[in-house]
Formats: sequence, C-alpha cells, structure tokens
Amino acid sequence: MDNKNNNSFCDEKRFSTFFRENSKSLSNYIFYKCGNLDLANDIVQDAFLKFWSNCSKVIPGKGKSFLYRIATNLFLNEYSKSTVVLNFKSTLNDTVTNESPEFLLEEKEFGVKLQRAISNLTEVQRVTFLMHRIDGKKYREIAEILNISIKTVEKRIHYALISLRKEIENI
Amino acid sequence: MEKNYFLAKWLNGEISEDELKNSLNEEEIHSYKKIIDATKQLKTPNYNIEEGLEKIKSKHTNIKVKKINFTKYVYRVAAMLAIIISSYYFISNKNTTYVTNLAEKTSFELPDNSNVDLNADSEITFKSKNWEKDRILNLKGEAFFKVTKGSKFTVNTNLGKVQVLGTQFNVIVRDTYFEVQCYEGLVSVSYNNKTVKVPARNSFKILNSKTELITELHEINPSWIDNNSSFKSIPYKYVIKEVERQFKIKINYDSSLEELLFTGNFTHENLEVALQAVCVPLNLKFTIFSDNQVSLQ
Repeated sequence: MDNKNNNSFCDEKRFSTFFRENSKSLSNYIFYKCGNLDLANDIVQDAFLKFWSNCSKVIPGKGKSFLYRIATNLFLNEYSKSTVVLNFKSTLNDTVTNESPEFLLEEKEFGVKLQRAISNLTEVQRVTFLMHRIDGKKYREIAEILNISIKTVEKRIHYALISLRKEIENI
Repeated sequence: MEKNYFLAKWLNGEISEDELKNSLNEEEIHSYKKIIDATKQLKTPNYNIEEGLEKIKSKHTNIKVKKINFTKYVYRVAAMLAIIISSYYFISNKNTTYVTNLAEKTSFELPDNSNVDLNADSEITFKSKNWEKDRILNLKGEAFFKVTKGSKFTVNTNLGKVQVLGTQFNVIVRDTYFEVQCYEGLVSVSYNNKTVKVPARNSFKILNSKTELITELHEINPSWIDNNSSFKSIPYKYVIKEVERQFKIKINYDSSLEELLFTGNFTHENLEVALQAVCVPLNLKFTIFSDNQVSLQ
C-alpha cells in the first residue's frame, strides 16, 4: 500500500513534503495553546506519526484538518488544566534604534503588557488570533484547519482585539 | 441580525480605515493599530523541520517493525492459549485414578470431601469435573467409603453397582467375589438386573455368581484399615489371595482346599504371624522360600 499510489500520504516523498509544509505551523498551534515548547514538539512528532500510520484513511484535500484534529486530541489527552505562560521571542526591540531611553522603556513595557494580555485571552481566541498574526494564515485556511466557519474566525479575532486593548490600557 | 465583526474585517483588509471611523474614535483606532503592528513582530521559538522529519522517519520504521513483531507475538500467545485451553479441557475431562499395588494401602479424599480407603492391589477411577453433581466412580478390588451427604454416590464394579446417598460402606470386588458391607446408612446394590438394599451393620455377598447372602456385621469398620484382614465363611482361595496381596508373595497350596470356607483373620504386620493364622485352622504348615514363595502343606 505504501508505494502504490504516489498521491497517497503513505508515500514517503509525499509525506515528507506534507511534513515540511505543516510541521512549523502545527508546532506553533500547540504552542499557542499551552506555551510549552517541549510539549509542542512531542505532540508534533506523535501527531505526524499517527497521521502516517493512518495514511490510507486520509481523504484527499482533508489532510491538514485531519492532522490538526489528531494533534488537538493528543493535546487534550496530555494537558489537563494548567496556567498558561507564553514566552514569545519578540523582535519588538530590534526595530527601534535611535530613540530616547524613555521611549525604549515605554516600548518594552508595552511588549510585556501585550504578552501578558495575550496569555489572558481565551484559548480559542488566542490560537485563532496568533494563527493570523504570527503564522500569517488567511481566515479561510484557519477555518478549514480548526473546522469552524469563517464567521467564527472573525468573531474570535474581533473579540481578541477588544480584550487585548482593554487589558493593555487598563480599561 | 448578522453581526458585523468590523475589527476582524478591517484586519483582513475587507474594510478600510475610513469605514472604521464609523464605529471607533481616533484614539481607539490608534490603540488597535499599535496592537496589530506589535503582534506582527512576534515570533515563536525555532522549530527544526529537517531534524523533526528525520526523527519521524526512523520512528515510523520502528513502528512498522514493532507492528510485525507484535503480530507474531499475538499469534504466538494465541497458539499458547489454544494449547492451554485445550489441555485444560482435556485434563479436566480426564479421569482421576488411584491405584494401589501389592502390600500397599492408601487413603484419599474425593472432591466432595468423601473419604476413600483403598486396600492393596486395587484401583479407583473417577472424573473430578462436575463431581458434586455426578458422584460416580469405578472400583476394582476393595475400598472403604465414607460418603458425605449429597447427590447420589455410585460405585461401579464389574460385578455390580453400589449406590448410596451418604453413608459408610466397604466394597470388595475380587474375581468372582463381590461383597458390600454397610457400616452406616443405607446402601443399594444392583447386579444382574436385581437390586438389593443393604442396611447398616449388614453385609451382602456374592460368591461365584450364585450364592447371595445377607449377614450381620459386628464391626464398626472394615478391619483391613487397621492392618488386619478378617473373614467370615469366605472360600479359602480368597483368604490366601489376600495374604498374597498384603505381603507381595506367592503361596502354593493344594487346590482341593480352595473352596473350604474360612472364618478368621490375619495381621498385615508380620508375615509369619499371618501365615500362622491362616494355616493353623486348616492344620497346615508353611515354608518360606527366599524368592518370596511360600508353600503350605
């Protein structure tokens, strides 16, 4: 079954391409959920392995959503309630160079507030929002991966922005 | 009412900043812009794609190998289980047999705690599976039974069948000599399409398949259990056979003495004393030879 059909995910070449295309995003996805890089890496490994084991069952065109569904279930099994601590590598500081120290400090403070506010979003808001901001995914792709409607994607992003502003500006 | 998530639409480029001014003031727009720009700058920790891919490829091969081994393992376990289960059925349906040799006695319990004393050169066979419901055993030779109350207890012999519900009785089956002694309770004996009930303290005897007698018992136990054989009007040949059995010897004597009726007993503990006991009443003398042979004259 493995080498019969070149379009099947069972084929090693096809699988490798699929892995290269989606592994980073998948890792980010889990990271947005829990902020734990090790867990994200483990789940990415396990999810792709499980995907490969079930390669013959994958419906063409539904590979991505199948993959994310596997990963979500693995995550649910692994990770019961815990506090979320996100630790993004931020390049905020790099973009400002010849500003006054007060300005730099202000920017740094803003960055800290932003990170904390992102952590305090609901999981679904955070995941949806960051998939758009960091991964650069379009609403349509996000909807397909998470198996929700585009309207739901818009709703989550809309309320995520409102929450972020409220928390950062202490409203 | 269709909700308008204008912030999301604006972020997506579906509505312009001007349209946004309908819902938000300058300050708010500025705040959101700052958030949107800042979040664009964020990066997640590095993920090594090629390393991840290599790991997966090697794990995938291992899993395939493990799956094959696992299948073999499952087949092996299944085969073992099949053997174990069929042996269990084979064994549990098999008969349990107790055998005594010459000069040997034994005592054992049946699955229902009934007690059996087995005299020398005898054999009992029964199926222990389902014993409580079906208490049937086969006897060759002589055995004393103390049967617990329960379902019908049956002793099959090739001369007749003995049945009780709960009692103590002794059965002798030697050649053509068949005797059932009931010490307690009530015993039913079937033979040649006939049935006779033997009450306690009574003994039923068949000699040479003709003579049938019921006589009284005075003992409370068959004496052989206490290493003594006693006989009341039993043909001499059976008495001598029992001596041979208890001492593992061969006795030669004149065949004209065979049908003489003998009443008396002999000990199992000393051959000479025993021989005395069986010789004196008939005025015989015995000689013991070195190869376990005895002759009476």
